Amino acid sequence: MNRTVLIVGSAIGLALVAVLFLSLGNDPSHIDSPLIGRPAPPFALKAINTGEMIDIARLRGKPVILNFWATWCVPCYQEHPVLVENAQRIGSNVQFVGVVFNDSEDKINAFLRQRGSAYPTLLDEQGKTAIAYGVGGVPETYFINPKGVIVAKFAGPMTTEVLQANLSKAMQ
Amino acid sequence: MTATLGRFLILASVFVSAAGSMVAFAAGRKRSLDGLKMARRFAYGFAALMVLATIVMEFALLTHDFSVGYVAQVGSREVPTWVTIVSLWSSLEGSILFWGLVMGFYIAGATWLTRGQHEEYMPFAIGTWLACATFFSFLIAGPANPFLSIPNPQPDGPGPNPLLQNHLLMIIHPPFLYLGYVGMTIPFGFACAALLRGRLGHSFLRPLRSALLLPWIFLTIAIMLGGWWAYEVLGWGGYWAWDPVENASLLPWLTATAALHSAIVMERRGVLKGWTVTLVQASFLLTILGTFMTRSGVFNSVHSFTQSSIGPTILVFFSAALLFTVVLLALRVDSLESEGKIDSAVSREGMFLVNNLFFVLLTFTVLIGTCFPLIVEAVKGKQMSVGRPYFDSMVVPIGTALLFLIGVGPALPWGRATKQQALRSLSLPFVSGVVVATIGYAAGARNPWTLLTLLFGGYAGWVTLVEMWRGGTKTLRRGRRRFGSYVVHAGAVIVLVSIAVSSTMRTSKEVRLTRGEAANIGPYTVTFLVAEERTEPHRQSTIARFAVTSNGKAVTTLEPRMNQYAMMREPIGTPDVHSTLTRDLYLSIMNIDPNSQTVGLMMIITPMVSWIWIAVLMMGVGGLIALIPVRTPSLVLREVKDPLGEDAIPV
Repeated sequence: MNRTVLIVGSAIGLALVAVLFLSLGNDPSHIDSPLIGRPAPPFALKAINTGEMIDIARLRGKPVILNFWATWCVPCYQEHPVLVENAQRIGSNVQFVGVVFNDSEDKINAFLRQRGSAYPTLLDEQGKTAIAYGVGGVPETYFINPKGVIVAKFAGPMTTEVLQANLSKAMQ
Repeated sequence: MTATLGRFLILASVFVSAAGSMVAFAAGRKRSLDGLKMARRFAYGFAALMVLATIVMEFALLTHDFSVGYVAQVGSREVPTWVTIVSLWSSLEGSILFWGLVMGFYIAGATWLTRGQHEEYMPFAIGTWLACATFFSFLIAGPANPFLSIPNPQPDGPGPNPLLQNHLLMIIHPPFLYLGYVGMTIPFGFACAALLRGRLGHSFLRPLRSALLLPWIFLTIAIMLGGWWAYEVLGWGGYWAWDPVENASLLPWLTATAALHSAIVMERRGVLKGWTVTLVQASFLLTILGTFMTRSGVFNSVHSFTQSSIGPTILVFFSAALLFTVVLLALRVDSLESEGKIDSAVSREGMFLVNNLFFVLLTFTVLIGTCFPLIVEAVKGKQMSVGRPYFDSMVVPIGTALLFLIGVGPALPWGRATKQQALRSLSLPFVSGVVVATIGYAAGARNPWTLLTLLFGGYAGWVTLVEMWRGGTKTLRRGRRRFGSYVVHAGAVIVLVSIAVSSTMRTSKEVRLTRGEAANIGPYTVTFLVAEERTEPHRQSTIARFAVTSNGKAVTTLEPRMNQYAMMREPIGTPDVHSTLTRDLYLSIMNIDPNSQTVGLMMIITPMVSWIWIAVLMMGVGGLIALIPVRTPSLVLREVKDPLGEDAIPV
């Protein structure tokens, strides 16, 4: 038995394996938005499906779920029914707002006609709102509490579980 | 039906590999030739099952059988047939099946080539290979099963990862990487067999070395293809970013390169047996670690698209293989006794030792740098990364020292060099080094490391060329292995010089142009012709067209573009490159607006980039030349100073 080999090999191996095991489940690409804990950047845009003017500052008093999406993004197709279903169920207590990014009105109307809508959808024509929120890609969803402060951000297609978990933060 | 057949074949491969492994180890213990014969049949059986399973999967892909899980995941009726064929390795489950196929070929090939030879070692080698095969079969049968049945199949699927369709290199890079990674299983099996048998005779060195050299060639080319892909696609003008997944492919390459060198000392002087075996085993373990790095998702990487849930399973296998290796080494390494000794540090073998030291140092440097973010997160709970400055400051000096060794090692004789020999070997080729460095200085090189690299590059290049052609045509006939090794060295010298020059002597310029405007960089004038949008079934592209002229003469038209794939959250830029042997002109779009016909453009001129790709291919060709067997009598341990002998291999 070569003790040196055993000790050196075990020390290097154990250290490496321990670090790797501890890292399992971590998402290194997850970086919290710097906007969390800060007031939601203001914007006022016209909803293309309902025609009403949505001013984020006037929505205070209710939690807001602000979803950035586009008709050219496949994950947005996946999450759309989840958002519509939740909006129909809890829409009286929570304000859902969709902001379409880098897209055309015709395509959005066709998308909503085909797949249904349950909340105002705004067109961010020049992408200024998306830039103000630091949107890195679509879909991305921001959770804003009744005081108008961003409490959470989720990048990727929304699921009911993620929506409920983040909404509970916005309700507190 | 297809899915069921696929699952049956994979379950059969789990059984065959597990049973074969047990039979082989039992045959090794009892020294039973009948047992070995049976183990060989199991090895062929495993390979046959993997080939059949792959045929079934390709059949399902080509017939668009969306009732097979993997086809539903990556198949599409819209993509061309060639994309359908290569989509076998476009996603996790298929690529693990492809891994199994490659493993089957390697195991069957190594079993076939060693038939009737090395009977004392082969049961343990086959047992080790089939034990590894059992794990990968299990992975295909369970955590990464591509043959799951889909009860209500859809009429069409989404198609493979868009990145695979974005560039040709993305199609050929993964197979080369798998051929490199999986191939390391074979020398690992040989090394374990030597340890389990408690001896490593000279006749067994040749298969060990060849088994190591073949995957080394594939891995060398795979690393280059990865760098080339990054250069052609990612748009920042570089080819190496010290990304964890790039490092993952480099780590086993470093230890395998060290092992190839120490194996020569082992062959010539009968020393470093335990050390060589350790390096061979480390190379295999690092391929498994590399697979974990790519697949686990715990590292932040440009390869995050390859993340999956099989990380924990691979980590368990890595831990088990590591434990087995450490215990086996501790128990048996002393049985591989040295038959000779190293007389003097100033000798060729002395330089081999220094070379090995540097390669191992480089391995630890890269491993620590790669794992550092995980260590900080585990200890402090913070996200942190060491980044490029750490790697550059550590790797550049070691790489430069290795370049020096490429020159000084082969210039020194085996055994003990006299003072005159040492001085003569160092002084004359240095003239060439000084000439190259002076040319570099005249061409504008001012970075001290670049000038040092040019000095050592000129020196090593001279020694390599002189040694390569010593003996004229006799070299090619008798010393093919030696000649091939020097071709590899010549390639390595060019690669290191090209990396130094291209990374320190590039010029870049960011400009904003509207249609019809032009900008100058180096000898080129780049004129923005038009921006247009193009819609294809799988992507929307915004393309900018530029006319490139030099001294009023048309050179080329370049079309960098931004591609938005439906499946991706962010657009993928595709730069366009005009390559020549002296320099590349690289255009990459930063932002583009087709309505106002304006473009934000990054223009980069990088010297000598093409030489990196050419020289790495040269290293691969050199490796292949060295791999071709030469009909010579079995090697006998001897102290010869025959520079043309089959054994006279450079550092």
